[in-house]
Amino acid sequence: MSAGIPSRDPPPGAGPDVELAGGEARCSGSWTAVQLHRVERRLAGIAWPAAAEVVVDCSTVEALDTAGAALLQATAEELERRGRRVTLRLRPEHQALLEMVRSPAPAGEGPAPGPPGPLAAVGRRALTALDEFLAMLAFVGRSATAGARSLAQPGRIRWRSVLHDVQAAGFDALPIVGLLSFLLGLVIAYQGSGPLARYGANTFVADLVGLAMLRELAPLITAIVVAGRSGSAWAAQIGTMKVTEEIDALRTVGIDPLELLVLPKLLALVVALPLLTVFSDSLGVLGGMVMSRSELGLRFEDFLDRFVQAVRLSDYLVGVGKAPVFAAVIALVGCHQGFQVSGDAESVGRRTTVSVVQSIFAIVVVDAAFSVVFSWLGI
Amino acid sequence: MTGAAEFVLEVRDVRTRFGSAVVHDGVSLAVRRGEIFAIAGASGCGKSTLLREILLLHRPDAGSIRLLGREVAGLGEEEALALRRRCGVMFERGALFGALTVAENVGVPLREQTRLGDALIGRIAALKIALAGLPPEAGALRPSELSGGMRKRAALARAIALDPEILFLDEPTAGLDPLAAAGFDDLVRKLKALLGPTVVVVTHDLDLLWRVADRVAFLADGRVVGAGTMEELSRSAHPVVREYFVGPRGRGAMEQSWRRK
Repeated sequence: MSAGIPSRDPPPGAGPDVELAGGEARCSGSWTAVQLHRVERRLAGIAWPAAAEVVVDCSTVEALDTAGAALLQATAEELERRGRRVTLRLRPEHQALLEMVRSPAPAGEGPAPGPPGPLAAVGRRALTALDEFLAMLAFVGRSATAGARSLAQPGRIRWRSVLHDVQAAGFDALPIVGLLSFLLGLVIAYQGSGPLARYGANTFVADLVGLAMLRELAPLITAIVVAGRSGSAWAAQIGTMKVTEEIDALRTVGIDPLELLVLPKLLALVVALPLLTVFSDSLGVLGGMVMSRSELGLRFEDFLDRFVQAVRLSDYLVGVGKAPVFAAVIALVGCHQGFQVSGDAESVGRRTTVSVVQSIFAIVVVDAAFSVVFSWLGI
Repeated sequence: MTGAAEFVLEVRDVRTRFGSAVVHDGVSLAVRRGEIFAIAGASGCGKSTLLREILLLHRPDAGSIRLLGREVAGLGEEEALALRRRCGVMFERGALFGALTVAENVGVPLREQTRLGDALIGRIAALKIALAGLPPEAGALRPSELSGGMRKRAALARAIALDPEILFLDEPTAGLDPLAAAGFDDLVRKLKALLGPTVVVVTHDLDLLWRVADRVAFLADGRVVGAGTMEELSRSAHPVVREYFVGPRGRGAMEQSWRRK
């Protein structure tokens, strides 16, 4: 059985070699992939004799593999292109290998498309952005119709998933949201205390912390943390399910992936994010109180006295009211990016990153839009 | 060459446990240079685990594995790398790198293990792609753009990129339709003739066992319950091996192979 198959144990030390002697190129040693780079370079720089016929004598080559044969063939082709006739002298057992290297005619290297010019690149990016935007709109539309269908039949809503997501995206985020809000309150009070103390307006630090946290910063920081924590996780989860064809499997057994995967997350976050925002409000104000006492000597009672006068109910509701909108943005962007995954692992990673970047961007844009609307309405 | 060196792979008394589940309870087999050796058995009998152990991806609890004359257990990183360079592996689900094109996938072992120029690597990759039976255009595609059968062929092209001395194929025909599977049988034979590697196939595909395997080892109950050519095994009395021959599918595959002769 094993007879006739050349053993290709690499003989140590017998690296491949080629030298010109009397108009002939004499190849020797073992022409196998691992050491082949030596002769590859030698062959590229060799000064071939000017004669019309070149003889390449490989009868002393001890071992030949595909890489070696390919190199011989490439060299021969290069010489033939320059108008020489090439005669390869091979050992009989290497003949078949060279035959194989020769047979699949051209090494099918389709011309690699060059990088597009700058103008084309701009155009392509614009078109991609437009496509993405339209796809996102379509996704929002489909989610809305699926949501409407579920609301018509509340029995179809997957309450277990909703509760699970409330815990994962809401409850489990309490420590990080709390800590960040507390520090934020601390920092605002600290930055404000200097100028306020100079004007003798110590108690107004409650206005500063209260309005900044409740109206803007608490909803924003909560939404950003949740986008980084849960939006990305959902994008990766749905993306991986897409790669393993679980999404397709769901469709074939008659389950709408939107209904199973997107709606519970959306619903859960719309509930959880306002609650998290309230938590963030309290911790932020607490941070402000602690810093006011240590920096300005303002007692908690005095701070809270001023706080009640400075902050109206509408300020609190404006902040908390933005949270459900942010929640929808995070859930929809995260899930949409998950569904956009195509094929491979790299795509999952890219889409996960994009989901975080896009949702934070969208949150800030939406927040700005809210500010404009509220200033029109005079709230 | 001496008798001992004729065996490129020797597995002796390998034992493997996952928790309390005993997967291998003393597996022994030996593969001769140049043959096509199949490891067969039912799903879950430890075929793939044995392959992982041979490839240094998993450590057996006891026993010895000699690959190309080297004891696999306790090899240093360098030696393990040198040994792996001489082996080609085609994984069951292809395990192609999703971020690279097929041609780049085939070029990975060449780029890592040799210092050849890009042009020559491209040429060799294109050759192997053609050898694996893929059209030249397939080289520029991503694995996610390939069908299941093409993905297997691309995985094979990568496995043979360095002309391995031993080629390991894990379930090469699983998930292929019978026609494509038959095509794969021929492909393995052709590669064998051209490049001359020893081939170790892990499979439960009866047609593949009959058509390409020189010798077969049947794994069951954590040990090898029968080893030899399919003809020899067809006379075995072991119930698991018999099941392979007297079952309806087994008989069909056997009769087909007779008709072909």
